[in-house]
Amino acid sequence: MNSMDTANTAIAPPVPVAGKDAEPHGKLAEKVLVRNLDFYYGDHRALKTVNVPLYDRKVTAFIGPSGCGKSTLLRILNRIYDLYPNQRAEGEVLLDGHNIIEPGQDLNLLRARIGMVFQKPTPFPMSIYENIAFGIRLYEKLPRAELDQRVESALRRAAIWDEAKDKLQANGLSLSGGQQQRLCIARTVAIKPEVILLDEPCSALDPISTAKIEELIDELKDDYTIAIVTHNMQQAARVSDYTAFMYLGELVEFDTTSKMFTTPTDRRTQDYITGRFG
Amino acid sequence: MVLTEHTHKAFDADLQELSRMIAEMGGLAERQIGDAIDALNRHDAVLSQSIIAEDSKIDLLQREIEEKAILTIARRQPMAIDLRDIVGALRVSNDLERIGDLAKNIAKRVMVLDGELNLQKVMRGVEHMTELVLTQIKDVLDAYSRRDVTKALQVWRGDEEVDAVNNSLFRELLTYMMEDPRNISVCIHLLFCAKNIERMGDHATNIAETIYYMVEGRPLPDERPKGDNTSTTRVPFRL
Repeated sequence: MNSMDTANTAIAPPVPVAGKDAEPHGKLAEKVLVRNLDFYYGDHRALKTVNVPLYDRKVTAFIGPSGCGKSTLLRILNRIYDLYPNQRAEGEVLLDGHNIIEPGQDLNLLRARIGMVFQKPTPFPMSIYENIAFGIRLYEKLPRAELDQRVESALRRAAIWDEAKDKLQANGLSLSGGQQQRLCIARTVAIKPEVILLDEPCSALDPISTAKIEELIDELKDDYTIAIVTHNMQQAARVSDYTAFMYLGELVEFDTTSKMFTTPTDRRTQDYITGRFG
Repeated sequence: MVLTEHTHKAFDADLQELSRMIAEMGGLAERQIGDAIDALNRHDAVLSQSIIAEDSKIDLLQREIEEKAILTIARRQPMAIDLRDIVGALRVSNDLERIGDLAKNIAKRVMVLDGELNLQKVMRGVEHMTELVLTQIKDVLDAYSRRDVTKALQVWRGDEEVDAVNNSLFRELLTYMMEDPRNISVCIHLLFCAKNIERMGDHATNIAETIYYMVEGRPLPDERPKGDNTSTTRVPFRL
């Protein structure tokens, strides 16, 4: 099988394998479907005809060496790239069947539906409470009591309520790195998105904070469709249901995580996950 | 399939060391089997004692392989083919340890066998079976060191022949016992020796299955053709 075959057939539903991930693929709804997606930074073609689904309420991990295009792909999904000149996407990204790459989108609404958490925790320089309430106020006008409730439930959802409840007026930046990252996840969750994009959310965190975030991902996937970019292979194996391996802007292989980490089909996937990459 | 090296070379060294230890263990097990049959054939008490003593070396190697495998898993967090390689080493070392035990059991029986019965004809059968099993074990260890699925499958299918010889030995020994009850003790011991050798063959097929799993990433799809029907064999009392 040559590389192009692999890239073009990656969209075909993989054969289910026995194990906890095994599910008839027919039942899985494609919350997001990336079709024939190309992306350019100026003249540089950073994504080459990428095809990949994000199944509804499943965690999909994107792995691959630095510069392979996985963060680029995530940045397209909520059109963050629009903030920069000379960057353009061609192809289709269907969110519930609707192409979000087309011009004329309400980007604020789109970004409310597809939330994103970045590698470095980015709390706003304001109180913990305001960090959460700020986003909610952009989209909804709520009475104070209801707003309080939404803030609490978001903080609970992100498993940081117990640590933050006694200092809601403290500056968000006074929290530890792990807490800040969970605050950012709470902020994302607060506006009730449908898809959550996590771009290496644990790379700056210690193992305990990492475990908390991973636990959180497990809980969040009951309600959200999640895409996570990670350099930590074990993390991808632990938290995701599906894994996509990208290399040099191509999507090399997509399959259930249990298959990808035990018996990947493509030689390049195997070399990468076993630490043999040249 | 020739794999490229790991970026972290020490990982390759770990995996190679595991394979080397398996090869060493396999070599010891092969020698034990050969010695056990010699001891049986010659009623050699000294040799049988040394076989019993040598078995601890195989046991020790198994424990070392286990430790090395667990440490490698903890340290390297292996994935895909590397993970299967290490799990494979653990399984193969278990099979080899059992093969060693079976050889030791034959050695123990050497002491109780005295030459009441003219054993030459039966012994030829036992030796023939041993040769078959030794070839199986050699081939499967060779297949292991080269990760050669085709060869492993040959071994896997070859076990039927061992079973066939075991069946005929079984019937033969039953008839000796019927001829003269004084033969019973010797024949029972020989039956166990034959059974031990047949089991060694089964372990060789286990190893073949492990090799298939290591390389292909899935278990062998078919049920192995089983030829051992001694558990349902009856010989009429009057021949």
